[in-house]
Amino acid sequence: MTSTSVTVRRVASVPERTASNSWRAIADLIAAPGSTAHATLLRAAGVASLLIAEAYTRDVPIVVTPASGPRVRIYTVHGQDAAADAISEEASLATWPTAEPGWSVSLPCGEADLQFAADALAEIPEISVRDAALGLALDDDARHSASTATARSAPLRVDTSWLEK
Amino acid sequence: MTSVRVSTATHSVTHVTTNLLWGLRRIIRDCGLDQTKITNQWETLEAGTSAWLTSGHLRALVLEVYDPRRSTGSDLIGRFDFTIDYGYYPDGDGDLWLDPDTVAFAIRRAGTYPSACDYRFVADTAPGYPRVDGWGDTTFRSTTGMARHTLGTGIGGGSLGASLSYYRRTS
Repeated sequence: MTSTSVTVRRVASVPERTASNSWRAIADLIAAPGSTAHATLLRAAGVASLLIAEAYTRDVPIVVTPASGPRVRIYTVHGQDAAADAISEEASLATWPTAEPGWSVSLPCGEADLQFAADALAEIPEISVRDAALGLALDDDARHSASTATARSAPLRVDTSWLEK
Repeated sequence: MTSVRVSTATHSVTHVTTNLLWGLRRIIRDCGLDQTKITNQWETLEAGTSAWLTSGHLRALVLEVYDPRRSTGSDLIGRFDFTIDYGYYPDGDGDLWLDPDTVAFAIRRAGTYPSACDYRFVADTAPGYPRVDGWGDTTFRSTTGMARHTLGTGIGGGSLGASLSYYRRTS
């Protein structure tokens, strides 16, 4: 597995912001207002809002992969931590990770909502969902992990033939 | 039950709004209804609920489940009411809490609905409510032949409480 540099941000959510306002803040963080990317992100507001309301994004990050440059991991902050000074601690990014075509956003999602969310986002190829149980693993990483897991889970056989010699 | 402690009325409204929608979405999902409508209407629902909780006009946020194949007047087959109590905890210390079991119990009692069923959201508002884009006037479907069951308060925030009731057809 290759390593890549990563930037992490935390965005205040409920009760500081509603779920949809949390998503709007995330869109504002990663895309220039008025840009095509920003509009694309807002098209996913419904799905993203329900995922944020479920707090899937509290423990497992949204992962933004730019065409080039470091990935951005975004967590939403909920509860008392969000209500304190979370907004004042939010820092903008040095660049817009969605500025160049080829970016993607991966949203963490619980198993119970995975199929519906994937179907609902089918027409927005830049934005996808992944099983939150996989943590940080994106699709490519997940495939790698799956093949590794398969190899590791292959039945083991102890070679005792040398004992018979 | 989850609970955190914060202070402002705005936080209470945001917490209750989000969890009202969370609860409605869970009911829709787990009762086998299509989630597309609530997903597409999420921002409108959130805007209205938040505005009317802030202004104190929201009496209840209601999910009506109906069967379009049945005749008008008898097409309601399920209903869930989140009824707002603005003085639920007048001396509240800022606790924001959610009891997912209340919603889960309502879902178990309702069971699943046939796939042909549809649903809509109705906000019961007091006169003088501020207008919110995306919402229009309507009237409730008839509940004749249905019994209402109240499960108690499932969402709390500051002085706000939201109790959940559900209706089941008895005839």
